[in-house]
Amino acid sequence: MKQHPLCTDTEHGHDVMNLPVPSELKREWATLQTRRHFLGRTGKVLGWAAVASLLGDRALRGDTHSPTGVQQGPSSAERLRLPHFAPKAKRAIYLFMSGGPSQVDLLDYKPHLSDLYDKDIPDSVRGAQQLTGMTAGQARFPIAPARWGFKRYGKTGTWVSDLLPYTGRIVDDLVIIKSTNTEAINHEPAIMLMNTGNMNAGKPCLGSWLSYGLGSMNDNLPTFMVLQTQLNPKEDNQPVSSRLWSSGFLSSEYSGVGLRSSGDPVLYLTDPSGVDREVRRDMLDAVNEINRQTYQELGDPETHARIAQYEMAYRMQTSVPELADLSKEPKSTWDLYGPDAKEPGTFAYNCLLARRMAERGVRFTQVYKRGWDMHSNVGGLLPMTCQETDRGCYALVTDLKQRGMLDDTLVIWAGEFGRTVYSQGGLSKENYGRDHHPRCFTTWMTGGGVRTGITYGETDDYSYNVVKDPVTVRDFNATILHCLGIDHNKLTYNFQGLDQKLTGPVPASVVKGLLA
Amino acid sequence: MKSQSRLAAVSDRVLPNSKTTRITWLASLVFCVSLALLPWIIKLDGKPHADWQQFLGRFHPLAVHLPIGLLLLIPVMEIAGVFRASLRDAAGFVLQLAFASAALALTLGTLLAYGSGNAGTLVTRHMAGGIALTIGLLLCILARPWWIERSVPIFYPALLACMIPLLFWTADQGGSITHGSNYLTAYMPSTLKRLTLANTTSPSTSFYAMHINPIFDSNCASCHGPAKSNGGLRLDSFDLLMKGGKDGPVIVAGDPEKSLLFHRVTLSPDQKQFMPAEGRPPLRSEEIALLKAWIQQGASPSAKTLAGISTSDERPELPLQPVGDYSALIPEIQKMQQAQGAKLIPVSAKPADGLILFTVDAAGSFDDAQLATFQKFAPYIVEAELGRTAITDSSFDTLKQFTNLRALHLEETHITGDGLAKLSSLSQLTYLNLSGTQVTEEAARPLGSMKNLRHLYLYNTPAQPATNPQPAQPIAKRTP
Repeated sequence: MKQHPLCTDTEHGHDVMNLPVPSELKREWATLQTRRHFLGRTGKVLGWAAVASLLGDRALRGDTHSPTGVQQGPSSAERLRLPHFAPKAKRAIYLFMSGGPSQVDLLDYKPHLSDLYDKDIPDSVRGAQQLTGMTAGQARFPIAPARWGFKRYGKTGTWVSDLLPYTGRIVDDLVIIKSTNTEAINHEPAIMLMNTGNMNAGKPCLGSWLSYGLGSMNDNLPTFMVLQTQLNPKEDNQPVSSRLWSSGFLSSEYSGVGLRSSGDPVLYLTDPSGVDREVRRDMLDAVNEINRQTYQELGDPETHARIAQYEMAYRMQTSVPELADLSKEPKSTWDLYGPDAKEPGTFAYNCLLARRMAERGVRFTQVYKRGWDMHSNVGGLLPMTCQETDRGCYALVTDLKQRGMLDDTLVIWAGEFGRTVYSQGGLSKENYGRDHHPRCFTTWMTGGGVRTGITYGETDDYSYNVVKDPVTVRDFNATILHCLGIDHNKLTYNFQGLDQKLTGPVPASVVKGLLA
Repeated sequence: MKSQSRLAAVSDRVLPNSKTTRITWLASLVFCVSLALLPWIIKLDGKPHADWQQFLGRFHPLAVHLPIGLLLLIPVMEIAGVFRASLRDAAGFVLQLAFASAALALTLGTLLAYGSGNAGTLVTRHMAGGIALTIGLLLCILARPWWIERSVPIFYPALLACMIPLLFWTADQGGSITHGSNYLTAYMPSTLKRLTLANTTSPSTSFYAMHINPIFDSNCASCHGPAKSNGGLRLDSFDLLMKGGKDGPVIVAGDPEKSLLFHRVTLSPDQKQFMPAEGRPPLRSEEIALLKAWIQQGASPSAKTLAGISTSDERPELPLQPVGDYSALIPEIQKMQQAQGAKLIPVSAKPADGLILFTVDAAGSFDDAQLATFQKFAPYIVEAELGRTAITDSSFDTLKQFTNLRALHLEETHITGDGLAKLSSLSQLTYLNLSGTQVTEEAARPLGSMKNLRHLYLYNTPAQPATNPQPAQPIAKRTP
């Protein structure tokens, strides 16, 4: 057998060092022949072998792709065998009130607080809680009763603030959760926790888990869409970043697709002049071909995500204009949603759009409304923010109900935390500020899978601590997943050596009391 | 003669022949007899007695597992003793320990039943089992020396063999008291269940059966049911409910205020008389309202409806009928999912949950002919989303063959309702959405005969005002 020239076995045949090669090369060979090098090299080889087996024969064969370049294997939902059980809700609409709405002024009615105006909140209630830097230095924590009255609404006689007269009309259809509580006291960690189950960035959000787990119900619109309400510069707006609809370590196919709140809902949606549909198709086919070659070369699954996203964008060129074309909505729609809904970017407009998306098979729509972060001037700001959102919430729920969609659509209204019963800064009967309050906040849900017409959980007389049936963020998210047919413990994705899940490693449980 | 002499020989070996053994035998006999008479000495009258009895009695579930374990250990040790003599020596001690712990468990159990006022067949049977086991263990102790000496070799093993099934039976009675009688079988696989359990009776549709009995079932039956009948009251059937308890009848037909049961559940929860007792959650306000209306209108066992009470939304959900297994068609279904247009998506990972037909992508181009191509899958489709499609009234002929259909979306289609009656054969249909169609009141009338159709949507149709079950009117405001 002919020996390889690099073989250094001196007892048999050639020594490489005798070969006619440049002396620097021989020096390099000599340095390479150390034990350490041998071990290091072996390690790498083993590593590559492992990678090859991990990628499996699919990566090596490269024969699983359709002519259009879209992966034709089973969708993730089929691979995961989801939903785990027959769901009550097929889709969800999440109205996210960023900034932290004040439960004290809106839905958590504490009638006897008015007797305690400007009295200090008892230490026993506040306990050893660490406050934010904004109020930790305050000498006093004077109680600020809600400035607005409350009335009872509906057959259930639920108390609702005068600021939310429209929400009052739908209370019989809601489950109002007074005992939601979180671990984070500042916006970014709290809003990340609500959306991704973790305070640190990098985890997939609820919508991404849903679209990863359940897959799409339609071809022409993304599974997970995000609508931002145009910000009102008079309000205290906290940033809402795309981290909140990121797919984290899941494929980027599953991240939320945002529509712009003004102008074209999607930029460059219309083809430039001179480019017709056919030219666009040809171009995409060519790009897909290049991408496919890239995939064969590198085997990065994100290449597939890229191809899928191009294809989706192509189809959205026709589906989004149809979605955003409200000219065919009957007069009854405008009577219901109010005049605001005619103006793109308003909350009411987004609610209407969310309904239209639900009709068109979008699995999960998240509507963000900023401006709830009222550290001061609650008296001036809260009526404004309520006025912007109240009717939209009512109209959406009522509209879904009359169209028979509330049976299989889950609607969620929540912020990232609540607000303190004590005033931040100056206190008068008419005006006060409220700091962040993680220990309790009020949220509501309605629709497929939840038990409506009830109030769940109770807070103490100061709306400060939960005294009955606490609902943690984990439990809240586990319950949402349950309504959509998912066992939160079973929808996992192995990343960094851990079977990651939306509710995280701390045990969470579905809140049975919220279920129909 | 021979047999007589043998008997004499046996009795000679067996019968007490010294004074101490005689005393032991006599004491044991007295003990056994008094134990056997225990149910007549301490009568379980269904009334709670002293608190200390309950306090001690509640250790019964704790103590009772010790004799169970020990008793199961004895035959194991006796058999293993064939190979290792030391185990056989120890078995005698374990037997004595089992007897002592059984006597303790029996004492505590009696205190528990008597103190808390438990009564009922389950409790009586469990107590009888406990007594029999204790007596049996004592007899085992007495008979074991004969077995060791090989004088009467068969009595002890036979007795021990009888003890094991008796133990299981007694434990099952006890388990049924604490966990309910269907605890073990509730999650039995359905095929096994069909083989082992008799069919339950068919459900009645009276208001009592649909709405009143379930309230008692979920809130009261654990203390006033077959397992326990505290206060002599059982609420698990209409006759027993009307019979009342130790304090007389609890329901006065036509007068909720005079009905003891209604009075007790509407007290303030912090009162001692309040029911459900011991901090269990109070009845919900809607449950109390149903109860009140039912009593007020005569507490009838058979009336189907009550004036002023609408229960259409409270009807228990129709149990989902499993559809056949479509596994054989999966390749075809998957191919369809990858193509653009109408697709079939599984409801869940369980094939028995069926398929949903989605047409959202095909929408305007999906017509009657295309729907007809799905007939092959008809028995597996439980939900058809045909909103905004081009289908017409002639599709009712196709749809009526979707026999497992539970939800049908026809909103914003060209349906006029001509032939809607054909759907009435769909017995599983609970949801029908006709919003935004031209369906008239006249055309929708045949749907009234469909008993399971609970969600009918006629928003934005000519039929809307009269038959829409969920009017779009805002709910009237009420001030305090």
